[in-house]
Amino acid sequence: MSKLFCTLCAGITFSCLGLSVAEAWSLEEAAKDYKGTEIKVIFLDRPGYRATIKMLPEFEQKTGIKVAYEIVPYESTREKEVLDFSAQGDLTIALVDLVWLGEFAESGWIVPIDELQKKFANLTDPDLDLNDFFPLLLNAFGTWNNTVYGLPFDNYSGLLYYNKEMLKQAGFDKPPETWDDLLNVYGPKLTKGGKYAFALQSRRGETQSCDSFMRFIWPWGGSLLDAKFKPNLMSAKDQEGLDFRQKLEKIMPPGIVDFDHNEAVNALAQGQVAMITEWSAFYSTLADPKTSKIVNDLGIAPEPKGPDGRKPALGGFSLAVTTQADDKKKGAAWLFIEWVTSKAKAKEYVENGGVSGRQSTYQDKDFVAKYPFVSPMVESWKQGVPEFRPRFPEWPQLSEIIAEWGTKMMDGQTTVKQGSEEIDKRVQDVLKKAGYYDGKKTLAQ
Amino acid sequence: MSVDKSKRTYSTGAFFFLAPAVAVLLAVGIFPLIFAVGVSFHQFLLPKVHWHGNFLGVWPIYDAPLSWFQNYISIFQDDSFRDALSRTFLFLIIVLPCELVLGLAIALLLHKPGNELLKKICRVALVIPMATTFAVVGLMGRLMFDANYGILNYLWSLIFRSRPNWLADPNLAFFSISIMEVWQWTPFCALVLFSSLTMVPLEIEEAAKLETAKWWQILWRVQLPFLLPGITAILILRTADILKLFDVVYIMTKGGPGSATELISLFVQRIGFRAFDQGIASAQAIVLLIIATLLSRFYIKFVYKEI
Repeated sequence: MSKLFCTLCAGITFSCLGLSVAEAWSLEEAAKDYKGTEIKVIFLDRPGYRATIKMLPEFEQKTGIKVAYEIVPYESTREKEVLDFSAQGDLTIALVDLVWLGEFAESGWIVPIDELQKKFANLTDPDLDLNDFFPLLLNAFGTWNNTVYGLPFDNYSGLLYYNKEMLKQAGFDKPPETWDDLLNVYGPKLTKGGKYAFALQSRRGETQSCDSFMRFIWPWGGSLLDAKFKPNLMSAKDQEGLDFRQKLEKIMPPGIVDFDHNEAVNALAQGQVAMITEWSAFYSTLADPKTSKIVNDLGIAPEPKGPDGRKPALGGFSLAVTTQADDKKKGAAWLFIEWVTSKAKAKEYVENGGVSGRQSTYQDKDFVAKYPFVSPMVESWKQGVPEFRPRFPEWPQLSEIIAEWGTKMMDGQTTVKQGSEEIDKRVQDVLKKAGYYDGKKTLAQ
Repeated sequence: MSVDKSKRTYSTGAFFFLAPAVAVLLAVGIFPLIFAVGVSFHQFLLPKVHWHGNFLGVWPIYDAPLSWFQNYISIFQDDSFRDALSRTFLFLIIVLPCELVLGLAIALLLHKPGNELLKKICRVALVIPMATTFAVVGLMGRLMFDANYGILNYLWSLIFRSRPNWLADPNLAFFSISIMEVWQWTPFCALVLFSSLTMVPLEIEEAAKLETAKWWQILWRVQLPFLLPGITAILILRTADILKLFDVVYIMTKGGPGSATELISLFVQRIGFRAFDQGIASAQAIVLLIIATLLSRFYIKFVYKEI
């Protein structure tokens, strides 16, 4: 009894102590020694970053820390960051696409969160609560080899956006549940009179490898690599998925291999196509009357299911502190990352056009009701695959190979089988050169 | 004695006049070239190498393993490199003659007497494509050749009732980038050739006109010798530029669809700044440099003639 009493007393004391620390902690107080520090980060020209830019004055006013950002096109971001890190440049924060995480972590360019929490204990928000992030996001965007490096910042899931009116006129009151329905039931009825049922952004680059190619691997039960890390595109399931993608071309606008994100989103926004599968981040473009003609007819659903389930596209960025920054900048950068991804700022971030990775944000039903993309997105995050695209350092090389041969398959320069064989051969060469097959390197993921 | 002194003074003066230019050339031209040659003999995967200071405060030292000629061997075994190189030569032999012929036609028109005001306007207008930034030319190409909203397809559909996918079809995409290249650089050829035509002595040209009314005979026998130095310069400069043509193509097609428009410079950029294999990319760049130099020598030997 006395033991129980002592334990209870100790528990209450520690809780009170914890509470008082939590109450005592404030951003202004923590940032006192960092006033005047300038931190540097790369942003993209996308809604999540525009939301952050709107929120920045508050952070700068409260902390006195200056956040210098440079807006760079996505395609040049990795190049710019890798060159900066290799040359020991001045970036204080790394913007980490989930497929760059392995490369950045293994090259020692980003600092683990554990290390930051230890080094800057007084800067760490007691309400940081890593468990509040969707586990899939924290795992896929920020964690490499069981170490957390970055906090999910700009979070996407693939969604099915559709034109309710076009579907209604074709006799459908809801979007397709499966890819098979999309092709065989919805496709024929929606493809007529110069309009098309579907558009799949497939331009050469990451758009082809991620948005187009990989989207037809996982839902068919396939994978890029098998359990032994050997290329797997010649497996029956992979081939079935890639053959299916070819069949989709008859319900898509001609020249689909030249469609990037903007072309696909515009095609839906202008009423040229009835459905697209796109990132959640494009909701604000499609819901804005300035950029979309279908604001009132916009419907959003999770991506259709394949024979092996939904397994939608997963993408997004985390923010991490760079190792090259000095301690003062590291501290300031850590404060900024905590603040911009915090529970406290999550709703404001969403209201300004961003997509928060915090679970607590979406527990408020009234708030969720205002943003129709949230429910399908949260559902997708519950069924997503962290390895939708491999995250090991060699992915950028594999992505280039897939982008080249994936577009060749789509425009008929090669067959699915020949293209798959070629990709498999080249992927194996890259992985062999990286040392995965001679035991020099442990198999990633 | 006085001759020797004047020679010495002249040499010293020349040295001080030339030294800054030579120093700048060494710093911005020769040093990076030697560095690239050094890198091409190493296994230089950028994310995996680390800088370990500078030798004599100048030469950067990295922990990249030496691979001797392995990078050179591997690029010649790589089908994609050979394809990109062949594609670039195909582009060169299509585009360069078009630019030369069209440029010559414009130059001859400008050289004809009369319409002085129109010719002045034309000369100014010819500078505009050349002065346009490459990125802007690429964007213009992307907009003009857009299948749905492009001006070209608008006009095409009025006549032929169809809308070709210029940038999505492999052959049409190659054709589209060729058109933009010819559009941008034909004026350069026209201006160089026009200035060469002004070198032809007036009395010789007039005498030739009295001999024959056939313009091609005048061109072949009288004007061509004066045009050859200009043609050689055009061949050398345009060949070098086409071998490194990047911005316009990257913006218009990113080398796609598939690899239909992946010219050698896009390929090298992909290896160097996507895969970050600087060793192989440097070896490819050195091979390109050798090709460009050999072609220049070839042009000088077989095209250039002293007047």
